[in-house]
Amino acid sequence: MNSILKKLIKTAAGRTKFIFAVLGLSIAMLLILAAVQLQENYNSLLNSKTNQDSIANFLVINKQLTNKTYGNTFISGEDIAHIRQQPFTEDVGILKPSLFKASVESFSNRFPFSTDISFESVPSSFIDVQTKDWNWDEHSNYIPMIAPNMFLDFYNFQFSFSQNLPQLTQENVKMIVFKVKIETPNGYALFNGRIVGFSDRITSLLVPETFMNWANKQYGGNINTQPSRIVIKTKDPGNPQLVQFLKDNGYATDADKTRFSKYRQIVSTVVNISWITGAVLLVFALLIFTLFIQLTIASCKNEIQQLIILGASPYQLKKFLVKQFFPQNILIILISLIVLSGIQYWLYGFLLAQHIYINIFISYKTIIVALLVLLILWFTNFYTIRKYIQS
Amino acid sequence: MQLSIKHIVPIPLKEKTTISNSDVWNKECTFSSGEFVKIKASSGSGKTTLVHILYKLRNDFSGSVLYNQEDMRQLTAEQIAQARQQHISIVFQDLRLFPQLTIRENIELKRVLQKPLYESNMIDTMANRLGIGHILQQKAMLCSYGEQQRAAIIRALIQPFEILLLDEPFSHLDQANSNNAATLIEEECAKRNAGFILTDLDDDDRFNYTRKLNL
Repeated sequence: MNSILKKLIKTAAGRTKFIFAVLGLSIAMLLILAAVQLQENYNSLLNSKTNQDSIANFLVINKQLTNKTYGNTFISGEDIAHIRQQPFTEDVGILKPSLFKASVESFSNRFPFSTDISFESVPSSFIDVQTKDWNWDEHSNYIPMIAPNMFLDFYNFQFSFSQNLPQLTQENVKMIVFKVKIETPNGYALFNGRIVGFSDRITSLLVPETFMNWANKQYGGNINTQPSRIVIKTKDPGNPQLVQFLKDNGYATDADKTRFSKYRQIVSTVVNISWITGAVLLVFALLIFTLFIQLTIASCKNEIQQLIILGASPYQLKKFLVKQFFPQNILIILISLIVLSGIQYWLYGFLLAQHIYINIFISYKTIIVALLVLLILWFTNFYTIRKYIQS
Repeated sequence: MQLSIKHIVPIPLKEKTTISNSDVWNKECTFSSGEFVKIKASSGSGKTTLVHILYKLRNDFSGSVLYNQEDMRQLTAEQIAQARQQHISIVFQDLRLFPQLTIRENIELKRVLQKPLYESNMIDTMANRLGIGHILQQKAMLCSYGEQQRAAIIRALIQPFEILLLDEPFSHLDQANSNNAATLIEEECAKRNAGFILTDLDDDDRFNYTRKLNL
């Protein structure tokens, strides 16, 4: 029966109109699914481990120094607990400052060097320099130190020129043993010190916590030991929520690291617009397809009327018409998914060349959305056909 | 099954004086399967209107038509379709074949609209008996009216039915072809223990009518 009905309905509806309706729906489908995939890629770029920036994920935070906070920039236990509770905080580490006067000198006359210095320490889990030398006890021969890269840059590209000193590579510096002088009530305590690594994560001269605790106790006296700087680990330093939190609570951090939040808000807006565009287009495409179904039914109204006169039941006709229109929808969605997979594959290769990693396959969420859209299409088709057959 | 009419008067014929002399209009009448009923009337007296009312194609009449004691107006679209597939078959005066389909497709459509009563080769058998076996593959619009009329008769006979409505079914057939068709109709009715209601302009003795009515 279907082949005869097909012949009757087909001759009544225009082929070109059908092609246009299918084309419209395909484009809209591709756009909406692309919007979903775009969102997924965007999320994966933000959150996946491979794309994380090891520097940016650690933020050193202190209270903003203003006339109001002058002399009271300590971060209390309560403040730390509050920061710890925030959804973007993964871990909080306290930066302990040295509470004694210290200076660093070189042993060699060929390389005369002397400067007053202060240290900071931080729990080892916050340090990105992997070295077996990073430990200290009272029997150690020297104090290991981690210096920020910018210290060396400052030396190599400014200081050395002005003082007529040689430039130093990281490896050179690691070989130098310094004299560390700590002022005590009875003169100076002398130690050896050595730079064991360089880092961009925390811009202080770091020493192991064990040394800091010991030295503060030994030479620090009874000065307030409340911290004034902390370091937080976060998945996403560009998170606008984090930036807002810091602003609201009067904290300051390296603005460079959080600057990304502004770009991110812009990208988020663009992604949202692509969503809306896709959704609006989908609505239009549904309208086109619905109109096409109506047109088909209207153009073979006489045939349908006569079929009903001859005894075809509305149920039979509905079933036939749904079968006529629905398989195209499945095909459209399948083709859209295949095209999208192709684009994703190409994008993967393209971004890989720029060291940006996205998934090689499209997201399962895109496929779920495709199935949902298919469901909506089925309802629309069924509803339109039912409405027009009954009328 | 039974098809009963109770005081039906088509609204367009309401003013006609001839209605009072009719055996059908504004009377009570029951047609049962197994009966061969002939309704004779002159042109314009409402033969086709009656057939269409009985087949529930029009509603512009007063009175009621009962289909197995149930008011036809109350039946749902699905119930009507069920009745047309299983219980009431029809040969329209204007035939109503799909012009773009072949004769075979026109008949086949009616054969498979419900669970088929006959195998498809029955179409060939019937078509050969009525002399249209050679045009089965021809589009209906290319066939003569007489050929189309015979195709419409076969289309009505290929499905299950208990009452067959025939609206001037031999109007374009010669005597021999009319007799041929009548024999086939009678045989098919007998096979199903079915009856028919036939409308025509003149008297005839092609069937052993159980009842003859004037419209």
